[in-house]
Amino acid sequence: MDFLSQNSLYVVLFIVLVVWLGVFLYLSRIERRLKVLEDVYKKASQ
Amino acid sequence: MALRALLGLWLGVVIVLGFGLPMVATPVEWYQLPVIPGLEDKARIIFFHVPTAWLAVVGFAMSLIYGARYLRSKKIDDDIKSSASAGIGFMFCTLATVTGAIWAKFSWGTFWNWDPRQTSIFVLLLIYGAYFALRSAVEGEERRATLAAVYAIIAGVTMPFFMFIMPRILSSLHPEPILNTQGKLHMNTIMLLVFLASLIGFTGVYWWMWRLQVRTEQLHHRIGP
Amino acid sequence: MAKAGRWLRSVAAVFDKDWRSELRTRYAISALLMFVVTTIAILMFSLGSEEAPQEVLSGMLWVVIFFAAMSGLSRTFVAEEERGTTMTLQLLTSPGAVYFGKLLFNLVLVTGLSVFTVLLYALFINGFVIQNVLLFTLTVALGSVGFSAAATIIAAIIAKAATRGTLYPVLSFPVLLPLLLAVINATRLAAEGAPLADAAGEFQLLVSYIVVVVTASALVFEYVWKE
Repeated sequence: MDFLSQNSLYVVLFIVLVVWLGVFLYLSRIERRLKVLEDVYKKASQ
Repeated sequence: MALRALLGLWLGVVIVLGFGLPMVATPVEWYQLPVIPGLEDKARIIFFHVPTAWLAVVGFAMSLIYGARYLRSKKIDDDIKSSASAGIGFMFCTLATVTGAIWAKFSWGTFWNWDPRQTSIFVLLLIYGAYFALRSAVEGEERRATLAAVYAIIAGVTMPFFMFIMPRILSSLHPEPILNTQGKLHMNTIMLLVFLASLIGFTGVYWWMWRLQVRTEQLHHRIGP
Repeated sequence: MAKAGRWLRSVAAVFDKDWRSELRTRYAISALLMFVVTTIAILMFSLGSEEAPQEVLSGMLWVVIFFAAMSGLSRTFVAEEERGTTMTLQLLTSPGAVYFGKLLFNLVLVTGLSVFTVLLYALFINGFVIQNVLLFTLTVALGSVGFSAAATIIAAIIAKAATRGTLYPVLSFPVLLPLLLAVINATRLAAEGAPLADAAGEFQLLVSYIVVVVTASALVFEYVWKE
């Protein structure tokens, strides 16, 4: 507990980094799936 | 794809610097940040809270612009872009309000005290809420797009009045580390750099999310009901 | 010149039509008056013999006016929808004439409403004393015009929506907020007896607000109307 209160700033830093990583991976996933759908659509409308 | 990876890395670095750079009373090394008396470590919020507020405004501005464009072009594409920016702006507005309130609790003791800055971000939140309430209450794609665009314009036009009410309300507890009343920049250089980098990074995230939303809606539209 | 005269006559005609049908049915007027009477009665009961501070009383006055306005000002457009006369009006007049005609109608309603509310408020609410009457009169006058401006365009927007009853205050509140803040502040100043000059900022805001909202509404109204 003492470690945490001493280094709380770095704990927050770690948490925020993890959150950002999560958001980034989520957005990348959406991007990839969208691309697939767009390609399918492009092919189907040709 | 490389651009997205760059964005990811960019914001990662910003986060590390924002939290990691040491704050000392008298900065000697180039990487040391000054301690702002009364705020200390809490000042770090500037790197994250201000960009969200900035994007809340940007989201609304873009929504207004594309709305006006829709009124002239009548192309549903413009409405798609307008509502997409409103959606993402709304999200950032909520984040800004919440992060602001949390910071307020730590700095001033209460979550809310009707400080002009807090009030204005809250009003923006109300406008966003009203915008979406309107959209969900109107049937018909064209009519919904038109009325939403009109409301965005009317609400947008009254927003500047809040900027004028603010200086009239004498005391604000909200810190002004960027631009003080003389309009001069007096932030430490490295802090300014990290702040600007964060602003750019967050804007990049906004842009990415907006593009994703727009592309999804466009695809949705083309595929049909 | 002739065109301007014709346009003005259209505006007057739209106003006349709304005014006459309102006098016949008295829907909006009775709703407004009843609302004000009820609300002030409730306020009286809750205040009892207590005297609330001036800032609170000034704020409450405009709360009453705001909600009363919300209950009555949307009628001018909603009634057209309900009676099915919208299309006829669209064919016969230009959008500009419709907008200004209805703006005038709402202005009359709001002014009447404000005067009535102020009267009841002054008579029945303990501790509400206005020291600078001129300041107060100006505030109420400008406030009414501003209210009418914002309320009319929002009424036009929601007229065709589904949940228009609840949607109207939701949309109007953020737009009216600058006006409300200015007007509440000015009322407080008037109650305290401050000189006219003290409220200069508020009046500047009110006037520019009115100009901006009316201009934007006039420009944008045809898009709403043509739907």
